Amino acid sequence: MSHKFSRRKFLRNSLLGTGAMTLGFPALNVSAQEAKIRCGVVTSLSGANRFGGNLTRRGYDLWAEEINKLGGIEIAGTRYPVEMFYGDAQSQPASGADAAERLIIQDEVDVLFGPYTSGVTLAVQPISQKYRVPMISGSAESPNVWLAKPAFNFGMIPAVDLTTDKSMVVLADTLGDRAKTASVIGVDEPFSKETAEGFRKGVEESGLDLLSYELFPAESDLSAIVSKLKSTNPDIVAVGGHESVFINFVNTAKALNYKPKALIMHYGVTSAAFINETGSESNGILGVSVWTAGLPYKDDLFGTASDYSDLSFSRWGTRPDYTEAACSASGLVLQDAARRLGKAPPWNQDTRAQLAKAIEDTDIETFYGPVGFAKEGSHYHNNTKPVPVVIQIKNGDVVPVAPENASKGELTYPIPGAS
Amino acid sequence: MDLFLQTLVNGILIGGILICLTIGFQLTFGVLHVIDFAVGGWAMLGGYTAYWLVTLAGIDPFISIFLVFALFLLIGRGLGPLIYRVRTSRYARPDLMALAFTFGLFLFMRGGALWLWSYNSRSVESVLSGQFLSLGPVTIPLMRLSAFLMAMLFSLGLFILLYRSRFGMAVRALAQNRDHAGLMGVDVKRVSAWVYGIYTGLTASAGVLIATIYSVNPTVGIRYTLFAFFVAVLAGLGSVGGVLIAGLALGLLEAYVATYIGARYSLLIVFGTLYLALLVAPKGVLGRGI
Repeated sequence: MSHKFSRRKFLRNSLLGTGAMTLGFPALNVSAQEAKIRCGVVTSLSGANRFGGNLTRRGYDLWAEEINKLGGIEIAGTRYPVEMFYGDAQSQPASGADAAERLIIQDEVDVLFGPYTSGVTLAVQPISQKYRVPMISGSAESPNVWLAKPAFNFGMIPAVDLTTDKSMVVLADTLGDRAKTASVIGVDEPFSKETAEGFRKGVEESGLDLLSYELFPAESDLSAIVSKLKSTNPDIVAVGGHESVFINFVNTAKALNYKPKALIMHYGVTSAAFINETGSESNGILGVSVWTAGLPYKDDLFGTASDYSDLSFSRWGTRPDYTEAACSASGLVLQDAARRLGKAPPWNQDTRAQLAKAIEDTDIETFYGPVGFAKEGSHYHNNTKPVPVVIQIKNGDVVPVAPENASKGELTYPIPGAS
Repeated sequence: MDLFLQTLVNGILIGGILICLTIGFQLTFGVLHVIDFAVGGWAMLGGYTAYWLVTLAGIDPFISIFLVFALFLLIGRGLGPLIYRVRTSRYARPDLMALAFTFGLFLFMRGGALWLWSYNSRSVESVLSGQFLSLGPVTIPLMRLSAFLMAMLFSLGLFILLYRSRFGMAVRALAQNRDHAGLMGVDVKRVSAWVYGIYTGLTASAGVLIATIYSVNPTVGIRYTLFAFFVAVLAGLGSVGGVLIAGLALGLLEAYVATYIGARYSLLIVFGTLYLALLVAPKGVLGRGI
């Protein structure tokens, strides 16, 4: 047997091999793509927002695992498994946009699940628009996200101005004649300011007398603000800010011997970190949540809200908050839209545009609550249907106290020991 | 009138916190001529150390503050020669190199804190947390009062060290002229390293008090750096005595603006005042700055 090297043979074999690879691999790739729905997740897996980013990932992953247990999303009688691809936004808007582009071009995803923060969502929106890839955001809460009327982006959580506005109205209704005055304070930065604006609107809508509305820089010492509140002692104090501001407010108020009769804050107040760090001082504080495990919602995949909470706990070891729940419900929206679309993946640009239209027409009930996206106005493509739940911290537990259909306990008012 | 008096107390106590934070910073600038961008980072790490000591070992911040001082004194003493080397480098613009070095150090601290303690804010509980003293209509939070007293103690201790000890004499000589001090027999490197150690010890101790009054998270460092710069510039860079007046002035200004004009404008007016101070008295309130 001759082992003599033949240049001609080598070149011929190389050419044939390269040709086979060039022609064969796309064919293999296409057949693999045909069988699956490729979902890209852009979120903050590192950087300052990695904690929240990983919550969103948990929510999306839980849905993917559950739907794949059934064989995938059912479209025209056939089930197509979902495959998840991840892009790390590194808590930076620009990195989020890069990650989205990579997912669309390299991983050829059919649909995107959106980032944790509103800032990154705003940066990814033009990318999803450019490539006509629908993006369902399980987390962005700033109303600014929807002002630009993004054609391919849909938000599961109602914008913060809607939730705080409605929650103040719900609270005022529940308190009735017991509360007549309110003061609103908030950090002078986009998200917190929008939260405070929502509270102010709610105060005005519910007919309460607004004693003061004040914004302050995030770096401020709160003693002056607390002293002013103490001197007027309104029936309700609402705070727009993040968890660290809430903790500082509670610490400063305690040190100045002031305890509001009702203190309502936003999202961070339901987190275990806030309750741990403020200890017994958190008792009686009110918060706003668009979802809790006690709500009477259900769907076919996850069962009731309580079932979802148990499932998430058994999978991740912690109880889910509303961000995680909204992210899992994003998958339910995709499921429903794909079923109505009735076209097998992979989806080209035109089909993806049709999918976006199908998502826009969503009108479903899920364990997370009702989902339906606004088709006009300043909250375009934002799910405005959920009614926020006012929760109260009672001995370390987060208890829904209003509205009545979601209530699991009585609203304590005024907070024991109030000024 | 009640609110006016309460604001006066609030302002003085904010001033105490600012003085705590800045006094070591001024010392290190006066001696090493380093604008230490990591000042907020040292305060943040002091706060986190107190958090660990109270949650893991149950040591109250009023005891742990001494442990934190000792620990960070040694860390700063260890790091001091490196800072000195960067600052006295023969390469171009060692002053800017030192600034960049401390900025890098600050980023390292912030990243390390994120990795160790995550993004969540931590409260540091003390026996005095939430305790207050009522004097008629005025409420004096005891933690803030302690911070104010600690600021006075820091200042007094520093003055005694600087004006009543041989080490202090060497420090002052170094601040006046490093080369001449060296020629007179002062071990410049050693004294500089100890000064940096004292600075980190004092700032981390201030961080313990600040974390007990507010809370601590990895992002607070930049805020404290900013405030330290405010006070240092108004005091006159390098002027330890000016810190007392500048800290109180800025504390009172912030409190009165927040109460009577609007909290939204407090930092704007503080910035404006600083700008005017730089125009009118660039050497600070006592005219002793560099």
